[in-house]
Amino acid sequence: MTRHWWQLTGLVAGREIAERARAKSFWIASVVLLVAVAAGVLIPAAVHGSRSTARVGVIGGPAPALAQTVREAGRIAGTSVTIAALPDVAAARAGLRSGSLAVVLVGDSEVLVKQKPVAGAGSPAATLAGILSQVGGLQKLYAELPPSAAARITSSGIALPIHGLTRPARGLASRITGLAAAILIYVIILTYGIRITIGVGEEKSSRVVEVLLTTLRPTQLLAGKVIGMGSLALTQVVILVGTYFALGYAVGSSAVRGAAGGVVLAGALWLLLGYMFYCTAYAAAGSLINRQADAYNASLPLQLPLILGYVLAYTAVYSSNVSWFYHLLGFVPFTAPVVMPVLVAVGAAPAWQMALSVAIIVVSTVAMARLAGKIYERAILRTGSRLRVRQVLRSAS
Amino acid sequence: MGRGVLELIGLSRRFGEVIALDQLSFTVPPGQVFGFLGPNGAGKTTAMRAIVGVAAVDSGEVRWNGQLIDQAARSRIGYMPEERGLYPAMQVTEQLSYLARLHGLSAPRARAAAAAWSERLGIGDRGQAKIETLSLGNQQRVQLAAALVHDPELLVLDEPFSGLDPAGVDAMSEVLAERAAAGVTMLFSSHQLDLVEHLCESVAIIHRGALVAYGKVADLTASGPLRVFVRVAGDEAGRWALGLGDIAVVEKVTGGTAVLGLRNRADAQAVLDRARAAGPVEEFGFVRRKLSEVFRDAVGSPAPAMSAPGASA
Repeated sequence: MTRHWWQLTGLVAGREIAERARAKSFWIASVVLLVAVAAGVLIPAAVHGSRSTARVGVIGGPAPALAQTVREAGRIAGTSVTIAALPDVAAARAGLRSGSLAVVLVGDSEVLVKQKPVAGAGSPAATLAGILSQVGGLQKLYAELPPSAAARITSSGIALPIHGLTRPARGLASRITGLAAAILIYVIILTYGIRITIGVGEEKSSRVVEVLLTTLRPTQLLAGKVIGMGSLALTQVVILVGTYFALGYAVGSSAVRGAAGGVVLAGALWLLLGYMFYCTAYAAAGSLINRQADAYNASLPLQLPLILGYVLAYTAVYSSNVSWFYHLLGFVPFTAPVVMPVLVAVGAAPAWQMALSVAIIVVSTVAMARLAGKIYERAILRTGSRLRVRQVLRSAS
Repeated sequence: MGRGVLELIGLSRRFGEVIALDQLSFTVPPGQVFGFLGPNGAGKTTAMRAIVGVAAVDSGEVRWNGQLIDQAARSRIGYMPEERGLYPAMQVTEQLSYLARLHGLSAPRARAAAAAWSERLGIGDRGQAKIETLSLGNQQRVQLAAALVHDPELLVLDEPFSGLDPAGVDAMSEVLAERAAAGVTMLFSSHQLDLVEHLCESVAIIHRGALVAYGKVADLTASGPLRVFVRVAGDEAGRWALGLGDIAVVEKVTGGTAVLGLRNRADAQAVLDRARAAGPVEEFGFVRRKLSEVFRDAVGSPAPAMSAPGASA
């Protein structure tokens, strides 16, 4: 594939992008997706309390030790903390009154809050204050221990081990993220796929393909189209994932901490793999039709596996034990793009399974591109009635 | 073969039971308006699609500049397909410069060429319009511009005159003549033999996929049975000609002008003498055949489907 080959293919891709970017429907769909992702991050954060980053003041004592105590308390409370060293109690009182401080730790003697919580009340600030008082108390006790006991605690810690009756499972946040990822992957592959089918069908039915193919090879036209659409899809995914993490960190959402962030990255990976696997097949479907109205029917067989994986995702997300059938679908390249992120989200996909699934889909992508290229090349110039795949493959070009 | 020469050598193509091309061979020289004629279904479109590489042939080859035509050579072809082909939702200027760039022009040159050809073909003010919003005549102009925008060395135009109004036919004829004068090799097809006869310098006429007539229009129309037309003043029925006997046969008399078939060229003078003896001769000349007659004489039957444009293979 020479430089010239890529130049022409690049021209095709460039036209694809320019034409798509001009369509109003593209921008509407993109904005809707972006709003959906933003809402997915912001709404749970809003429900769980406006800010879960607490500003904690410290007075007196060795500052590093106090900061250590505050961070430990924040970790246990599930609240991210920022620490402010204060000169005196007057400054602490002022900060608490104005609301710029949530809690103040005074040396190893006391914890100050604006209003002492009644028992059972559970605002994040109150929880943090409660845990801070406990951790601070333990810290004080620890300082008074004889050196030998202190050394023993430092080496083994004081926490007792926890043993569960069933295997560890991912939390609800991770599962919901997995389901959302499955929906987005399904929507994006379908939207871009059908766009490709329609675009190829349009070139065929308007006969412009005859003019194009005097100077382009069919593979260039096909490659340019899927690369153009693919770069749009990639840009869109980068923007969506970027928005997810940026908003998540900005509001301190639990959605970006721990497992859920990994689920989003897995979703992005399988979305790209899924697009690469499916894009050429959607183009081949477009080469079989003669009227644009047939685009949806022709691409229906390509939509069904994704729909299956997506529908079954609901059962997997809410069950404690994922069925062997769903695991199996994770190895099938047609369904893996939706199934694998869900398996990752529920914590049911070990590393070897992910690696094998990726390997299978990469190999299948090459095979699919070859088959689709062959169908496309033979069908794109054959006008008349709608063609069948078998009929195209049986005939010579 | 030399520079600019297009050669079709033994092209054959079957579609099931239908023979579209049957050992079709002929040569198109550069710098001539060259017509590729024949009735609907004669195989013109199949041959042209084979030249531009969008249809395969079962056997035979196409040579250009003496070499097998390949992808690089094809980027110097300007092609106008029979069923037309443009992106319906794309703007005129953008579409033309895109096609020019696909044929190897740089972006600025492509834009300049798109603008220049739009202007030349009278659609300069429609540059921002989408193709689908244009009238059919204007779409046809864009289609021609699309074939010309990269300054091709070989033009392959499938039925360029179909669907054009008289002004469009004139504009198209003018462009073809001008391109031929610029040294471009050109092959354009038509099923309306008589309509394009005066445009073409040379023609290839095919029937059922095979060549039936080929050469300069002047030679083809001057060949064949020799005929003269004669008009003698005051003899509306052409009665003077009845006595010509063995040197000429009266074929028809219309409005006093008699068309006579001769055995040989020398007899023409004898006919003229007899006419002058009968009265003042107002008209006298050799009758040239029409291309449709050349066709009919070659295949033994009138060219079918000379009027309605439609599905030609």
